[in-house]
Amino acid sequence: MTSKRTTPVRGRPGAGPGSRRRVVSAALRWLALKLAGAAFVLWAVATLIFVGIRLIPGDPAEAILGGPGSQASAEALAAARAEHGLDLPLTAQYAMQLERLAQGDLGQSYSLRVPVAELLAEQLPGTLLLAALAWALAWLLALGLALWSTLGGRGAALVASGLEIAAAAVPHFWLASLLVLLFSNALAWLPPVSTNTPAGLVLPVTTLALPLAGFLGQVMRESMLTAISSPFALSARARGEREAGVLLRHGLRHAALPGIGLSGWALGSLVSGAVVVETIFARPGLGRTLLGAVTLRDVPLVTGVALASAAAYVVVMAAADLAERIADPRLRAA
Amino acid sequence: MLFSSRPSRASATLASAAAAALLLAGCASGGTTGSTGGGSAAPDAGDPVSGGTLVYASGDAEPDCLDPHVRGNYPQALLAGQFLETLFTKDADGEIVPWLAEGADVSDDGLEVVLTLREGIEFTDGTPLDAAAVWANIDHLKDPDTGSSTGYLAVGKIAEGTVEDARTLRLRLSAPDAALLESFSQPWVAIQSPAGIGRGQEENCAAPIGTGPFQVASWTRQDRVELIRNEDYTPPAEGAGHEGPAYLDGISWRFIPEAATRQSALQSGTVHVIDNPQPDAIAAAEASGALGHLDAPRPGASNRIELNTSKAPFDDPAVREAFVKSVDVDAGVESLFFGTARRSYSPLSSVEPMGHGDPAPFGVDTARAAELLDAAGWDERDAEGYRSKDGQRLSLEFPVSTNQSVPAEQSLFQQLQAAAKEAGFEVKLNLLDLSSWYGALFANDYDLVSAPYTKVGPDVLRILFHSDSTIPAPSGYFANLSQVKDAELDRLLTEAGEEADPTARAALYDQAQAFILAGHYILPLYDQQNHFLHSTSLQGVGATTAVASPVFHDVWIAE
Repeated sequence: MTSKRTTPVRGRPGAGPGSRRRVVSAALRWLALKLAGAAFVLWAVATLIFVGIRLIPGDPAEAILGGPGSQASAEALAAARAEHGLDLPLTAQYAMQLERLAQGDLGQSYSLRVPVAELLAEQLPGTLLLAALAWALAWLLALGLALWSTLGGRGAALVASGLEIAAAAVPHFWLASLLVLLFSNALAWLPPVSTNTPAGLVLPVTTLALPLAGFLGQVMRESMLTAISSPFALSARARGEREAGVLLRHGLRHAALPGIGLSGWALGSLVSGAVVVETIFARPGLGRTLLGAVTLRDVPLVTGVALASAAAYVVVMAAADLAERIADPRLRAA
Repeated sequence: MLFSSRPSRASATLASAAAAALLLAGCASGGTTGSTGGGSAAPDAGDPVSGGTLVYASGDAEPDCLDPHVRGNYPQALLAGQFLETLFTKDADGEIVPWLAEGADVSDDGLEVVLTLREGIEFTDGTPLDAAAVWANIDHLKDPDTGSSTGYLAVGKIAEGTVEDARTLRLRLSAPDAALLESFSQPWVAIQSPAGIGRGQEENCAAPIGTGPFQVASWTRQDRVELIRNEDYTPPAEGAGHEGPAYLDGISWRFIPEAATRQSALQSGTVHVIDNPQPDAIAAAEASGALGHLDAPRPGASNRIELNTSKAPFDDPAVREAFVKSVDVDAGVESLFFGTARRSYSPLSSVEPMGHGDPAPFGVDTARAAELLDAAGWDERDAEGYRSKDGQRLSLEFPVSTNQSVPAEQSLFQQLQAAAKEAGFEVKLNLLDLSSWYGALFANDYDLVSAPYTKVGPDVLRILFHSDSTIPAPSGYFANLSQVKDAELDRLLTEAGEEADPTARAALYDQAQAFILAGHYILPLYDQQNHFLHSTSLQGVGATTAVASPVFHDVWIAE
């Protein structure tokens, strides 16, 4: 990494023979901590969902028999309750569910009568693709705006900040409807129904990316501005580094840090956004699955989607932690 | 108007199809409302051509099981109408006619029904449609493990069945059931291959096997169901559409929940047909002629607001009348539905031949409403201008299901709320998700409510207004939401349900409906709206099942 030379950090641990063991054991400790944290998060999510879904009105047995307001007979209800263990005390149901989950068995969807794992495997790739593209586009836009506003002077900064605030404040459903009206109805450039083709992905990805980009852009620009007016940037300029070099070597790195720190939050925004975007653009995926599952009080399916999201959160947070260490040498010293 | 003269050929097509006794509640009403219906087709479309895949975009929830015996809702019926058929169906006049069955003989005491089946009909798995197969279907509906919540009600009075021979099934009833053949016309009681049912629920849910013009090829959840043509199909009844298999190679049935996206997909040519269009889009399509429109009101009950008579203030008939006289439904329907919905004055859908409407109880008369309320003791006004009695405000809970009320209807309720305020009623509109909404109903926590109910035939009146229907089902559900309990009304409805003679039956239902209207138990709004918009390249749209879901056997795509 070329930038090591210019970072203000001193006394970074050397690569001596004694330090290697320390590094390995530190890495193991880090991993163990992450795993324990992950297990806790997953347990907490499973428990919250179990409790939460019983607090909202609606009988899961009805979900099995056609949703609320079904006119199912007493026999049919009893059969459904017995089949899914809904006639057992809540504590027993909770224990059973935890035991099943611990064995990696997500159970069967009440409403779709298909193993939850199978549904997740079917719906996850589409959502992952959407989220990954949106996340990448959001970063590109946010960094681009941050760079432009820093280089472009006062006027550019004002415009960029205005754009960012507007983008961050726009609700997904509104943006989606606007894009459909503009690009599908009026201009007929892009299909309103999303498919996994480039043209079919533009509108949903943009819808998801813009609010995220607005939010990321705000923190990135701030951080970049602080960086290029700090003493190390001054010393870099004094060494004869050109302004573009200062920006790219120092500004970008500093701009990226808060963005990386917000990765967990970004994932949350992408998942909740996916519910809206997948519904509006009629795209199969986890978001739409979750919406249907909650409406129908499909406990196993809601639990499955929530656990999948929680697992993604754990992975993203760990990756963000690593990325932060790479981008910010100060953390490696710690 | 540009095309008031245009649909002449199309109308002729419609009329001949209607005369041909096709299953077309939709067409019949399309004609009466002046909707272009299937008739918006270009006049010179030429002879039908085979081939092509129709793309259908549904805004209804994706079914969780394609077998309509399991649970049983309208989205299932919409799809099942393409690949399953019923023993009976409805003709253009709303009369019940034989379909897979050739006829039914009912004994004098009404307790025995002998069904005769048509000869030579096969399921798409090659097994014959015979008496044993029909009985296996009734058995399947009655089996608690099937989890039927609609179809099992329809066959509830069937106690036992005897297979006399391949084409004859003798049914023994626990009580006379004048509505049995109407029940048999509903897709929730459609006949499917017993071998298919025998595969177990998971497999049968994914691809039920029927006798219809199409069959299920594949189902990608949250995306689409692919249907392909049944090459051996021909309509069982004569004159119902063209002979032989469907023109289309298949149907790609997609799920697009968002109305604006569906509309956009239709306009951009991505899909050929959409359901649940917004009223403004229907009006625009009618005005421009750029899209075809099928207006197919659902049978059964009209959409209506029910007044809960089980508690104050609506236990007082005078307060019910005052409320009804305070609100102007017509103006709201006209403005919010852009002329696509017609005001109803009946508890029954306009497609029900035994429907009885009477505008008289529903005229707006605010002076009379004020008199009634004063006389009933609601003569004080509180600080916010609402009427009160003994310090109690004249307040009405109105839970609204966002799943069951379209945005235009929710706006209509807001208009009614404003009008009722003028008269001194406080209407508390509460937008709720389906589970919470049922929760409010089951807790008797409502004074006003609007709940659709689709069923073929006037027997729906017994379900909605007989005192037995105030007793909750095991799930808490009860259908009699006005909670009217009246011995005379019960008698009329029970007798009508058992009356074999159509004229006598109609007279009984007439009296029952007059009673319901005069008692201000309900405020009828309009038929249960059921519109479809389609590309003008589609020809022959119009045939529907008995529950007004379109069937695409006769449809073809013009170049």
